[in-house]
Amino acid sequence: MTRYLSIFLTFARACLVRDMTFRANFVLECVTSLGWMAMNLAFYLLVFTFTPEIGLGTGWTKEPFFAFVATGMIINSIVQALFMPSAEELTEMVRTGGLDGILVQPLDAQFLLSMHRVDFSAFANGLVGVGLLAWAIPRLPQPPHPVAILLYPLLIACGVAILYSLVIMLAAATIHLGRNQSLYDFWFYLTNFSRYPAEIYSGPWGGPLRALCTFVIPILLVVNVPARVIAQPLTEQGGMMVAGTVFAAGAALVISRWVFQAALSKYRSASS
Amino acid sequence: MHNSSQPRTDAPSAAGEPVIEVRGLAKEYRVFDKPEGLMASVTGLFNRKSRVVEALRGVDLRVEKGEFVAMLGPNGAGKTTFLKLLSGIITPTRGSATVLGSVPWERTDDFRRRFALVMGQRNQLWWDLPAAESFRLHKEIYRIDTPRFERTRDELVDLLDVRKLLLRPVRDLSLGERMKLELVAALLHEPEVLFLDEPTIGLDVVAQHSLHRFLAHVQAERQMTVILTTHYMKDVAALCKRLVVVTEGRILYDGSLEQIVDRFTSHKIVTLDLDAPPDRAAIDRLGFPCEIRGPQVILRIDRTRIADVLPGILRGQGVRDVSVEDVPLEEIVAEMFRSGSTAGTDGATGAPR
Repeated sequence: MTRYLSIFLTFARACLVRDMTFRANFVLECVTSLGWMAMNLAFYLLVFTFTPEIGLGTGWTKEPFFAFVATGMIINSIVQALFMPSAEELTEMVRTGGLDGILVQPLDAQFLLSMHRVDFSAFANGLVGVGLLAWAIPRLPQPPHPVAILLYPLLIACGVAILYSLVIMLAAATIHLGRNQSLYDFWFYLTNFSRYPAEIYSGPWGGPLRALCTFVIPILLVVNVPARVIAQPLTEQGGMMVAGTVFAAGAALVISRWVFQAALSKYRSASS
Repeated sequence: MHNSSQPRTDAPSAAGEPVIEVRGLAKEYRVFDKPEGLMASVTGLFNRKSRVVEALRGVDLRVEKGEFVAMLGPNGAGKTTFLKLLSGIITPTRGSATVLGSVPWERTDDFRRRFALVMGQRNQLWWDLPAAESFRLHKEIYRIDTPRFERTRDELVDLLDVRKLLLRPVRDLSLGERMKLELVAALLHEPEVLFLDEPTIGLDVVAQHSLHRFLAHVQAERQMTVILTTHYMKDVAALCKRLVVVTEGRILYDGSLEQIVDRFTSHKIVTLDLDAPPDRAAIDRLGFPCEIRGPQVILRIDRTRIADVLPGILRGQGVRDVSVEDVPLEEIVAEMFRSGSTAGTDGATGAPR
């Protein structure tokens, strides 16, 4: 474990050195990303000029909702920084045969393939998320319970694990397909469901969609559960959701590992 | 499918445990044929036609510790597929292989720490960073302790005279410089087996020569087992005593470099430099296949008759200079490729004539 951490830090260091080599690109990526976040926040502020709450009786008033948005920003920035660059590169590595060089190295291939690139500019959103959370928490209708404060980092980790599993399974599809340039788009469409409170999925269409995105592809648990724990009072139902999220994260990691290993065994390499 | 024809073999007989042992190794790929034209492409969305390509057709090979084996073959012969199988990158359709006692495609860390693969057409160093950064990463991945890492790195870097390149981004280096640094990276963990896939491809003569000297030195010093795939006869002549000729996924010849000439050619090339262009009819009367280039005559004479025939030729033609040479290796191997290909198509034996 220490060795893997040491190797990851070496990767991270190399990526930072590379990012610093292309400073202008690094700054531009940060600015673009922060600009997109600012536009989103402005949009939500605009929404709250028309309504005091997202869905009556849901508890998602302005400050809790911004805690929700902040939680989403933190989780997404971790995934975008640590896993997405490597997953995106995998599609090119499969097409060009660059994956060969990874498979001969004496390390877990999934670790190498999912963590060898770190996009430091993506952490900018996470920092904004932390700032937004720090602004929202003192303004919540009820201060978070101490247990909630302890559970929050665990649930953030579970959210990251669920998203990571999805990324790695989509990346595994690349090995079968030989080319999967829509990976990022597909991931964006999937994770789009996680960006809003689960309560908005109701009615004849919303209900089944909510069930699908909770029990089959547990994307709705990613942000909703940690955000609810920190921004709303703890309830028995909330406790069930916490347990469900921990279970879902573990199951997602196991399943994605199996899918990835099965895909690697079918790798046929590219002609040289 | 096992290779029905037995390759001509002069390979060294087995003494101890082989480092590499391959039996009936075969690899098939299913490929889809893409029809031409828009309508055919649309139809192809629903009904794709596929066929099986046999990249390797049951190869047997045994390599002892410290051997430097060249694998020669035309494009698509199966050389790179063979190295990918031995490196564990892909899994075979049939057959078995062990490298250093391990099954390569089980991809155990212990096995992967003991070999290295260098591919001339693939870049394994970090493109935007200096090679020194890739070496540092290599040190961590292969768990090389610092004193050993520094000693090996310095030794390799000095041998290839690339110290001044270590801090330059890899993307700014020439192909030859990059290949030298790829080799340094591959050898940092002191592998027992080295697979080289066309390492000199695209390199100029100076860079090729430099790599030859380096590889010969390191292999001899470390007693490393090396398999080299190449298209260049110069690589083979400079580095290897044993040659494996492959075409269409089969081994056509496995033996020493010297014996390939004896076995596969019946004649020598005699070149005569004359005072003046000769009379064609007089040359034809000698009864040997010949080529005339101005005052130069090139004869192909049966090697068993050279001693009898040559004195007579030298007496009668006003010869200024003469040379007697073996048929160039390129020519022999090209003929083997051709006969192997024909044999493959006809379904007859793959052995060359």
